Amino acid sequence: MAKSRLAQSSYANAKSLLDLIREVGDTAVTIWWRFFDWLAQVEWRKLIIVWVLLLLLGLTPFGLSKQAMAFIMLSLGLKVLAGGKRKAELEALHAHHQADEESMERRVVEARMAALQAQVEPHFLFNTLALIGQLIETDPPQAARIHQNLIDYLRATLPQMRAAGAGTLGRQIDMSRAYLAIMQARMGARLAVSIDVPQEMQSATFPVMTLQILIENAIKHGLEPKIAGGRIDIRASVDQGVLQVDVLDDGVGFNLHAADGIGLANVRERLRILYGNRAQLVLEAPITGGTRASVRLPYAPDIFAGAGK
Amino acid sequence: MNSPVNSAASNQRVTALIADDEAPMRAQLRARLQESWPALDIVAEAENGVQAVELASLHNPAIVFLDIRMPGMSGIEAARLLFNRCHLVFVTAYDQYAIEAFEQGALDYLLKPVGGERLRTTCSRLQARVGQQPQDITRQLGALLAQHGAQPKREYLRWIQALVGQNLRMISTREILFFQADEKYTRVRTAQGEVLIRKTLKELADQLDPDEFWRIHRSTLVRVDAIDSVGRDLRGRQMVRVKGVEEALEVSRGNTHLFQQM
Repeated sequence: MAKSRLAQSSYANAKSLLDLIREVGDTAVTIWWRFFDWLAQVEWRKLIIVWVLLLLLGLTPFGLSKQAMAFIMLSLGLKVLAGGKRKAELEALHAHHQADEESMERRVVEARMAALQAQVEPHFLFNTLALIGQLIETDPPQAARIHQNLIDYLRATLPQMRAAGAGTLGRQIDMSRAYLAIMQARMGARLAVSIDVPQEMQSATFPVMTLQILIENAIKHGLEPKIAGGRIDIRASVDQGVLQVDVLDDGVGFNLHAADGIGLANVRERLRILYGNRAQLVLEAPITGGTRASVRLPYAPDIFAGAGK
Repeated sequence: MNSPVNSAASNQRVTALIADDEAPMRAQLRARLQESWPALDIVAEAENGVQAVELASLHNPAIVFLDIRMPGMSGIEAARLLFNRCHLVFVTAYDQYAIEAFEQGALDYLLKPVGGERLRTTCSRLQARVGQQPQDITRQLGALLAQHGAQPKREYLRWIQALVGQNLRMISTREILFFQADEKYTRVRTAQGEVLIRKTLKELADQLDPDEFWRIHRSTLVRVDAIDSVGRDLRGRQMVRVKGVEEALEVSRGNTHLFQQM
């Protein structure tokens, strides 16, 4: 009994010793690779500082100068021979991860925008159809115009019908004109519109639906609830390579307690993903009342715009 | 009861009021009514809910046609002031919530474009009822109002106003990473940068949605969605890291329970 217990315990000792050795080995390998990665990525300047410190340590009475020299030679050799390749590998891996994340994020936002574009508000659609029905009897030419405007609006809004080039400011202005013409027919004198966008900015890149979302917001939350109605101004300007598009209304202004709708949140998110910190959506309450929504983003006119068509 | 509604003979003049903010829609309803009920006398047209109530008081019509979506005062709100004086008919182009409530049959409604069989049915129902006292529809209107853009019980602040240069900028709370008290001011930190506002942290804490912003420290409110990680620093203090920002925010001892589950 005693003997076997002894054997057992010595076996257990041997096993735990083996485990310990394996663990030490694993740790050594891990530390070695960490050291190697560090060495591959560290700047030469910092490496030299480490060497100088080691040399200074070597000169102290502890007398580790040989070891210090050995370390310096080893790290110099490694850095020169294998550092560049390893560094490139690590950077590639990192970039790959980042690119994956970014393209994923971009796809999610694109999908969300597509869903948003497909949402023609039923209230708008039915009211416009009712209006066309009435105008057919009382004013057929006006009925035909509103009908055409509705077609233009739907063509630009439904993603599966969207033509190429929808991502330019000019196309979005055209579509907004169609939408605003319909709203003017419905609201009558309660809605005044002015659009001031210089010709040369029409070909500038502008994320699809952005302008439309700002205009629909201004009408829905600013002007429709106001008994007297009001006006909406759309302006574009370029300053030092930044395109700024303003949508200004003199409606009821901000309700500080109403959450910003899906539309505004999407515009903001989309600008962030397409342009990072180089684009922004700014909302302001002018002293004169109402609301001003501005989008600022890098100005990118299409230099082939005139030549192509 | 000083209402002029009395048990009328069928040849008595029946009056009506039309309320819709869109002129073509008023014209349409008027034209269709003249076809379906030539004897109906449309005494006035209103362009919004407020005007509808005023004109109804002035003309005392037997019937009021009310568009649901109107500026100033919605058709449903106007109905609450009018229902015991006249018979009401709601008109709408599209309104899924409202129609659900109407389908139960207690309220009359028309869909735009109005006309056809539906309008004739409504007219004959009104003709039968016009001499009687309008029924009490308080309960139905209450239900309708609750579905139709009625205010939630408690409204939280969703926008912060900050003076940037000459302009009053509106910052959505969804853009804000955290608020931090800074003597007389409060720092508002967004991904883009920071601005100072005069509102105190206490006022903000009272007005903001407590599920959207957590008070982690006497001088810090952080947006829950913006929290990246929670850890401890070398002095053992619990620190919150916020996405896209270098500085870490301290959690005071009293508030560490917020992160116990994490």
